[in-house]
Parts: sequence; C-alpha cells; structure tokens
Amino acid sequence: MSAKGAGVNDKDDIEAGTLRVWALRLFVMTRKELLQLRRDVPLLLFLIYSFSLSVYISGAGISMQLNNASLLVHDGDHSASSRELIHRFRPPYFRFDGEVEDQKFGVQRLDQGTAMLLLDIPPRFHESIVGREPVSVQLQVDTTNAPQGLSAAAYAARIVGEFSFDLASFRLGGASGGLMDMPRVESAHRVWYNQNQDETWFQSISHILRMITLFAFLLPAAALVREKEHGTVEQLLVSPVTPFQIMLSKVLAMTLVILAATALAMASVLKPVFGVPIKGSAPLFFLMTALYSFTTAGLGLFAATVARNQAQVGMMALLGISPMLLLSGIATPFEAMPPWVQTLMALSPLRYFVDVTYGILLKGVGFDVLWDSMLAMALLGGTMFGLGMWRFRRQFQ
Amino acid sequence: MNRRRIAAVARKEWKETVRDRLFLLMAFLLPALWMVVFGYGLVLDVEHVPFAVLDRDQSSLSRDYLYRFIESRYFDYRGSVSDEREIDRLLGDTAIRMAIVVPERFEEQLLAGRSVTVQTLLDGTFPLHADTTKGYVIAVNNSFTQELLTDFLARTRGLGPDEARRLAEPVSLETRYLYNQEVRSTWSMVPALIMFALMVASPLLTALGVVREKETGSIYNIYSSTASKAEFLVGKLAPYFAISMINVAVLWMIAVWLFRVPFKGNIAVFIAASMLFVLCSTGIGLVISLLVRTQMAALIITIIIAMVPTILFSGLLVPVSSLSPGAQVQAHLFPMMYYTDVVRGSFLKGLGLKSMWMDLLALTGFAVVLRLVVYGLFTKRPKA
Repeated sequence: MSAKGAGVNDKDDIEAGTLRVWALRLFVMTRKELLQLRRDVPLLLFLIYSFSLSVYISGAGISMQLNNASLLVHDGDHSASSRELIHRFRPPYFRFDGEVEDQKFGVQRLDQGTAMLLLDIPPRFHESIVGREPVSVQLQVDTTNAPQGLSAAAYAARIVGEFSFDLASFRLGGASGGLMDMPRVESAHRVWYNQNQDETWFQSISHILRMITLFAFLLPAAALVREKEHGTVEQLLVSPVTPFQIMLSKVLAMTLVILAATALAMASVLKPVFGVPIKGSAPLFFLMTALYSFTTAGLGLFAATVARNQAQVGMMALLGISPMLLLSGIATPFEAMPPWVQTLMALSPLRYFVDVTYGILLKGVGFDVLWDSMLAMALLGGTMFGLGMWRFRRQFQ
Repeated sequence: MNRRRIAAVARKEWKETVRDRLFLLMAFLLPALWMVVFGYGLVLDVEHVPFAVLDRDQSSLSRDYLYRFIESRYFDYRGSVSDEREIDRLLGDTAIRMAIVVPERFEEQLLAGRSVTVQTLLDGTFPLHADTTKGYVIAVNNSFTQELLTDFLARTRGLGPDEARRLAEPVSLETRYLYNQEVRSTWSMVPALIMFALMVASPLLTALGVVREKETGSIYNIYSSTASKAEFLVGKLAPYFAISMINVAVLWMIAVWLFRVPFKGNIAVFIAASMLFVLCSTGIGLVISLLVRTQMAALIITIIIAMVPTILFSGLLVPVSSLSPGAQVQAHLFPMMYYTDVVRGSFLKGLGLKSMWMDLLALTGFAVVLRLVVYGLFTKRPKA
C-alpha cells in the first residue's frame, strides 16, 4: 500500500502520503454513498421531482396576496351611486360574484365558504349622498382565515375611503365654482428588489429552501441509521476508515447531491420560467448552500446517532424540521412572531439561510452585508457536527 | 375475513409499536407538540414591521404625522436617518422593511391646502408583507388626510367640527368580522393545525410500519401465512388508526382548553369526519409503502407528500377560493381541503351536517378509493 511505501521516505512525504490515503478513503466512501443513492430509483426520481416540477407548482400556484376574494353585494338602492361604488371593487383583489336578493342568502354563502365578503348598501344611499347626509355601507367579512380577511377589509376600507374623498372634493369644488385646493397626504410607494411584487419569485425560492432543508437533514441521517440498522456500520468501523470519515463522507455526498439539485431547480425553473433575477454572485450562493447543507446535515447526523432505526429518525426529523420550516421566516414574517419564538429560532440555521438567500438572489448584496448570518450558520454547523461526532464515537468505541 | 386472524396481525403490530419506546413517544408527542409550537408561533398577522424615517421637513406637523406610525402596533420604529443612502444599506441588511420619506415643505403645503406626496420605500422580497404594509400606510395616510381636511374646512369656512367632519366624510364603511370577531390568526390556525398534525404523523407511522417489514424481510411471514390480503391490511392499520384517533381527542382538547378556540359545531360530525380523514391519511401512507422498497424512501416521500400539499393546498394558509385555477384543481385532489373545511366549520362557524355533507362525502370517497388502490397494489406474491 502507498502508506507503507511512503514510510521509508522522509517525514514530509509520510504526511503527504497519509493525507493522500485519507483523502482517497474519503473519496471512496463518498462514492459509495452516491452509488447507494443512485440505486434507490424511487427516491432519486422523487428528488428530481422535488427540485423541478414541484418548484414550478408551488411558485405558480400559490399566491398569499389577496386575490380573487369573492364578493357578494346586497344592493338595497340600485342607483347610480351604488353602482359606482360596486364598480370600484375590482380584480385582481376582488371578484364580483353577483348580487343577492336578501342578506340572509349572502350570510349562507359565507357560511359555506363559497364567498368571502358581503357588501350591504342601504336603501336611500343615493338620496343621502345627494341630500348631503352622512351614510354608511356595511361589509361582512369571513375571517376564518384571519390574515386574508383583514387584508380584504383593508382594501375595502381603502376603496370606500377614496369614494368618499372623491365625493367630498367634487362637492366642495363644485360649491366654490372650480376645483378647490384641499390638503391631502398622498401615498407613493417604491417597492425594492421585486418591483412588480411578483409572488412567484418569493414562493419558488422559499420552496427550494424547504426542499434543501428536508433533503439535507434526511438523506445523511437516513443513510447513517440504515447502516446502524443493517449492522454494516460495524463493518465500516473495523475497516481502516475513521468515524470522522464515515460521517464526513455522508455529508459530502449528500451536499453534492443537493448542490446539483439546486442547480437543476435554478436552471430549469427559476430563471427560465419565473425569470428570477440572480442579482448577487451565483458562486457565493452555491457556496452558502453547501455551508447550509453541511449545517443541516450536522443536525441530521446528530439525530441519527440518537435514533435506533429509520422510523425513529423520521419522527425526529418531523420534530426538528417542521418548526424550522414554518417558523424561520419563509412562511410568516419573522418580526411578527412572539419574542420567545424568535429567540428559539436563533438555533435554526434556516433562519440565517433565508436572509442569505434572498439577500444574494434578490437584493444583490454580498459578503460585506451578510457576514454575520454566514458566521452564525458556520458556528451552528460546526457545533452540531461536533456533537454528532462525539456521540457517534462514544457509541462505537 | 377472519376476525381472529385480523386480531392476531393487529396485536403483533401493536406490540412492535409499543416496544419501540421512542417511536411510541413520538407518535403521541409529535402532534401535540406541533399544535402547541405552531399555535403559539405561527403568527400570520403582519405586525411590528421594522421601519426608519427620513424627515426632510422637521416640522411639528411632520412629527405629528410620523408619530402615528411610531405608536402603531403594526410598526416598529428603528430610528431616523438623514440620507437616502442609509436607507439602502438598512434595507439590504434586512434591518428594516420599510422607510418613510417626508418631503420638504410638508407642513407648509398642507396648511395651505395643497396635496403632498409621501414616499414609502418597501422591501419587496416578501410580496405579501410588502402589500399588507402598503395597506397600513395608506390607511394611516387616509385617516390623517381626513383629519386635515376636517380641520381645514373648519378653519377656512368657519364650520363647526361636526359639520366639517360630515362634509369631509360623506360615506363611511362599517366592517363586521364574522366567525372570528377579534380576527386572531390563532383562531384560524389552531383548528387547521389539527388537520396538519394528523396528516403528517399518521401516514408516516403507517408507511414505516409496512416498509419496515419489507426491508427486514419479515413480511415473508405474512406472505406465507394463512392471513389474507384484506386481513393483513386491516390488522396492520388497526393500531395506527387507534393511535390517530387518540391524537384527535388530545388535539381537540388542546385547541379548546389551551388555545380557547370556541367549538360551536356538532361533535358527532367532527368525530365522523376525523375518522374518515384518518382512514384517508393512513391510506396514503399505505399506498406509499407499497410503492417503495426502503424505509428511507418511504420516509422522505411520505414527509414531502404529506407536508407540501398540506401546507400549500389545504386552505391552511391561503383560502382555496383564492388559489389559481390550476392549484384549485390540485387542492380538490387531496383529502386535506375537505377536512380543513369541516374542522374550521365545526370550530368557528358552528355548522352541522346540513352544510358539510359534501365534505364528508368527499372524504368517504377518498377513503374508499385509497383502500381499493391499496388492495389492488398489494400482492402476496411479489416478483422479486
């Protein structure tokens, strides 16, 4: 063997030789992991699906913004003014789903969940406006889905507010014989990083983040537990590879797979279909993805040392991953969560990776702005990997 | 179907499950834990939006205006800047999500009865939050305008404050929130989380239960035993069905007692729907278990199949009626949507069988079809 041959030469050569053998062993082990994965055809197909078609589905299909909120109207007036007001409830936010004869029918539709809002315009609406009496219209909102309900109510308030303001200014202007000056604070918005508020960008990127997290945790964890379950880990331990190599090779192999899958998702869906701009540096993004996979894999391996079989790992994955996925800021705004959740989520590597990903892909910022998140990820990953290592060694030595 | 053989298979399965302590603990702990963590943590209301201000006017009116944002619970004030470039940096670092720029001569123009444009810069990476934030800003601006106008009319026309207000706001909107009067997202989330917890845990338990036997080879005992296909499948499912039904009860108690979500509907309908739904979710687990060979594949596929459509198409986060037509079709292809309807209807809306029989029918349909698929796929004479 080459290590023996190197033994005759001087010290530097020995070190270079052992290093080469060490690297070679790591390489062989990594290759073994990749081969094993390649032979699990259903899993492989599923991996490809998750990073291509399913990215498209969730990007194109989900819009959390208020969209097509189904609106029913009970118009007790049927006048020019009431029609004018109804006409202002427009797509894409609202979808006019017809009039109801009676309020009761409207409420019934809300009960069934086939409509979301019921606008009630009182009789004598037009008369009141002409007669300069203040009048109010009523809106009933289904808030079983609280955020959407609130959002719809906010839009409705905006529409009625503008209607009212236009009336007031028309009337006052008319009284003074011309368009009169009125004090008003107008709102101008500039939305950065995603000017058109194209939600497909957000949804498709966050879907990739979800998939990376799931696979980075599960693939190495399941691979390690499978060896424990089948007893092949004992064979590995009596072979010349060290526990560190066993663990590292699994992480390496799966990180490579995840990088390839991420590249697939970017090249097949994100850029061509949704036109996500990659404003920052792509190599930096992939480097960060590798770091994140490593970190998450560390978490997975730690779980694998605790579990005795694959079923247990699955349960632990669900225990650890689902809070990460839902609470790290890709499903809900991070700032709005209760402080204790925010504190707890400091332990979630995804919390940092979210900032890094959106930072690089959409905002185009680089290392100078994101270094703190990167450092946090590296520290977490190192710690988890170290802990997993320590447990693994203790179990088998 | 022989009842004794079913009981034997079920007993064997039950013992296997009970002896795996960690697995058993997780089977009961996981759904309950999720409920608590997500119920408290998954807050969908956009609140505490961090923002900075750039006040170019520095007048008393501009301060008065900005103060409305600072004291609002929707916004979190993170300081004031003196330069637009600083806004750039803060937005890039995600230190703030919004910046308000008040122009010069803000007070002067408004008092003279002219309109002024206030610029808002928003972080658009999360379009939903940007949109909601925009809505808040417009609401603040509108109410500020209303007050200015009332003041202005009172000042220039010598009207009383009431009359001025009437003139300034001829039409107003009264909003009534139905089913969830305080518009708390906890109330909308917690019932749906019952669905989520059941949908993820039950298929996983079931799928692993079968694939474990396939992988270790102990399934050959079944192949060669006298138990028929149907007997094996029924016996195999029984313990997981029991575990899931206990979980339904526990989750219901957490929702009602811990989160204080009112249960207004019919308990019998709720239980019936839950049983049907558990039959569906365990059925999904069985189908997956028959298609894959390794536990690893079963694990990953179950988690992803259970989680992704559950989060996206069930109505958990987005109402199904607001999805795109394509996504709506997908939503109807999974049982999750129907059960979410029943759970929310029973908890918040107080509906009974009369308004929800369609959902129950759909769930029955799924349960039956899934059973048939499983029966068709399972064979006691595998090729390999």
